[in-house]
Amino acid sequence: MELMLKGFGEVVKTVTLRVRRYDPEKKELPKYMEYKVPVQRGMTVLDGILYIKEHIDPSLAARYSCRMGICGSCAMIINNRERLACQTQILDLGKDLIKVDPMGNYDLVKDLVPDLTKLFRNHESIKPYIIRQEEKVTGEFLQLPEERELYSMFTECIMCGACLSACPTMATDELYLGPQALAQSFRYIADSRDIGFNERLNLLDSKHGVWRCHFAGACSDVCPKGIDPALAIQLLKGMLAKNVFVKYQQKPAKIGPDRKSILETAQS
Amino acid sequence: MSSQYIVHETDVLIIGAGGAGMRAAIAASDSGSSVTILSKSLLGKAHTVMAEGGIAASLANVDSKDNWQVHFSDTFIEGVYISNYRMVEILAKEAPERVRELEEYGALFDRTPDGRIMQRAFGAHTYRRLCHVGDRTGLEIIRTLEDQLLHRKVKVYDEVFVTKLFTNEGRVVGALGLKLSDGVFHYFRAKATIIATGGCGRIFKVTSNSWESTGDGLGLAFQVGAELMDMEMIQFHPTGMVYPPGVKGLLVTEGVRGEGGILLNAKGERFMQRYSPKKMELDARDIVARANYAEIMAGRGTEHGGVYLDITHKGADFIKKKLPSMYKQYLDFAGVDITREKMEVAPTVHYQMGGIRVDPETTSTNVPGLFAAGEVASGLHGANRLGGNSLADILVFGKRSGEGASNFAKRSGFGSVDESLLIAEMERVKSYLNKDGLNPYDLATKLEDTMSEKVGIIRNGNDLNDALNIILELKMQSTKLGVDGSIRYNKGLLQCLEFPLMLIAAEAIIRGAIERKESRGAHARADFPKKDPQLRKNLIYVRAGDEMKLEWRAVPELPDDLKKLVEPEEY
Repeated sequence: MELMLKGFGEVVKTVTLRVRRYDPEKKELPKYMEYKVPVQRGMTVLDGILYIKEHIDPSLAARYSCRMGICGSCAMIINNRERLACQTQILDLGKDLIKVDPMGNYDLVKDLVPDLTKLFRNHESIKPYIIRQEEKVTGEFLQLPEERELYSMFTECIMCGACLSACPTMATDELYLGPQALAQSFRYIADSRDIGFNERLNLLDSKHGVWRCHFAGACSDVCPKGIDPALAIQLLKGMLAKNVFVKYQQKPAKIGPDRKSILETAQS
Repeated sequence: MSSQYIVHETDVLIIGAGGAGMRAAIAASDSGSSVTILSKSLLGKAHTVMAEGGIAASLANVDSKDNWQVHFSDTFIEGVYISNYRMVEILAKEAPERVRELEEYGALFDRTPDGRIMQRAFGAHTYRRLCHVGDRTGLEIIRTLEDQLLHRKVKVYDEVFVTKLFTNEGRVVGALGLKLSDGVFHYFRAKATIIATGGCGRIFKVTSNSWESTGDGLGLAFQVGAELMDMEMIQFHPTGMVYPPGVKGLLVTEGVRGEGGILLNAKGERFMQRYSPKKMELDARDIVARANYAEIMAGRGTEHGGVYLDITHKGADFIKKKLPSMYKQYLDFAGVDITREKMEVAPTVHYQMGGIRVDPETTSTNVPGLFAAGEVASGLHGANRLGGNSLADILVFGKRSGEGASNFAKRSGFGSVDESLLIAEMERVKSYLNKDGLNPYDLATKLEDTMSEKVGIIRNGNDLNDALNIILELKMQSTKLGVDGSIRYNKGLLQCLEFPLMLIAAEAIIRGAIERKESRGAHARADFPKKDPQLRKNLIYVRAGDEMKLEWRAVPELPDDLKKLVEPEEY
């Protein structure tokens, strides 16, 4: 008998989830296992994986957390394309066989769980914070709405790692910074409050930096948040090229009224 | 299997890497302590990312009349007079400073035309007060704090689940954690420990909370003798998604109403006119949530059992710019274009106002060496939380917590723990790897169903007593849980470890709801529909042996200067 998930309504059809399984403890090669999953309208691939865990094989390992496409835990390769499992409707795939693989270009922890150390390490290396010269900041940095728009899109990154998995350069250069970190370095460099371009320059201008990108654009293609890391990388290339002739100058954004004085007025 | 573990030493140990935990880590590190932070999920995936609307802080960038006094009175009154006044005062005074600090760290904010931080209207806030980044404020806060952590070289261990706290002569001296990815045990010796594990929304079936919000910290702290407070106060957010079921309960931000969205029943009536003619859709959350519930119960609900939330009159450009995530969320998950169609929404469990009882100044608990901050702590929100105050809470009290713990650590040394206790705990964890045990998913489902059906938005004595009996039965069964598979990345094992802690939260909520024979704020009893002046008190949950005992304690009286700011309570 097919178990139905409560509240989803009628079973529309049954699909096969073909999931790549790998347990490093077992010293076996990865293999595909097939699971029959009854599909009800509104079910996502994550719901399908949870169905397998709760009713067929609880040992299947996968990462998930928010179920609304904002935490970036459940990126995996679904029918040969990086997607967030929680954001992918099974019926929208229009197939009876759904292939689920862990993301590529990462080591594997188990089954669908990749080791994302590389992603976090590269992100950290580009100094992902505002760099300023002031010893102590006294007031709010002022930023006009149009200045904010310049980098706004790149702040939507949820660090799911899908772009690194899809990137062909990443597959050939283990040390490549990758689209996520490069887009984040653009996010900070383009921020009118930051003057850290020269501090990040050596890393970006290295042989594992922006020049490695040959503009396949796979990162932008798969990004579940619609971010365009490939664009950020090309813009960085432009900035670096100009920097050869004229040292790149960054003017820091102005600082608003002193915080102390605001607090005093508020309290008086 | 041998019982091996790796030992670490740190001045300050922080359990939980959401907004409060990360802000505490930054503060403790800036105070000169060595800091280790543990996260159950990957770093940066915490429930805070799901916060949408904004941070409440009286910057007065948009409404120049706003100040901390108004923020104080809004928060205290909507907490229905059982909040700790000092916590509310600290929040109202320090929130602007914390927001500006976040901005200096590099957080992106929506801006006013002259470049200052933009603020929006929100339920029961007198002025436009919520600093925001479209409708993904939580993500921006997490990302910004995470980057600051990396900047400060705080030690981060992610995908580590803390199974138990250890004490020496009553002081918390360490915690045992299991790293999910490789199944290795880690023992963290700490001079001071901060619990920042967030709420327990996951013990309910319909909730806006992420999979992680199982209230682990409440149980861990209670087990070592920390007092809990006001646990019966569970906030229902008025607008959660109702369809499709996979996303049932997911939050539809109050920002939709803040930006002009209206609520309609199936007959097309703007029913808030009947429940709150003055504040309408932007009244406090408990009132709007009960109004939605009443309309659905009265048979004026929609096809999928909700009410309509409509913002189409604002136009597509406005909606896509101001509420981009909401637009995408409905399009991706429900196939609804909110610029042209109405949303269907219903109340969903959203926030726990109660939690571990803490000192307002340092966030210390009654257990030496143990601190708590964020949703897991109590006292600030009283019987009802205002939107935007939780993001302010995690920043303001996260910082105080980090400083409090750091100061405590400077005055204390490490404490020892008998190794046999560690080994016993590791054996307990491994004993769940038994494929003949009870299926933890089944028991968790039973718990969630019970809480949603019997401890819901409107409660009554009979249902609550039924629920308590079911919980006590589940408690007996929880020792017999078991799952197949190895210790490495086994989420079934994780469920086995979480379940007994979820039961502690559930038991507290139910016992408190039975004890509080009145309706106040988020706690509504069908059999006691009125507010009782005798019960303007806090409920405290104390551990006595293996039992949970409840005590009433007086709410601290407001000093005269603050008394002037709030109108006396009406009954």
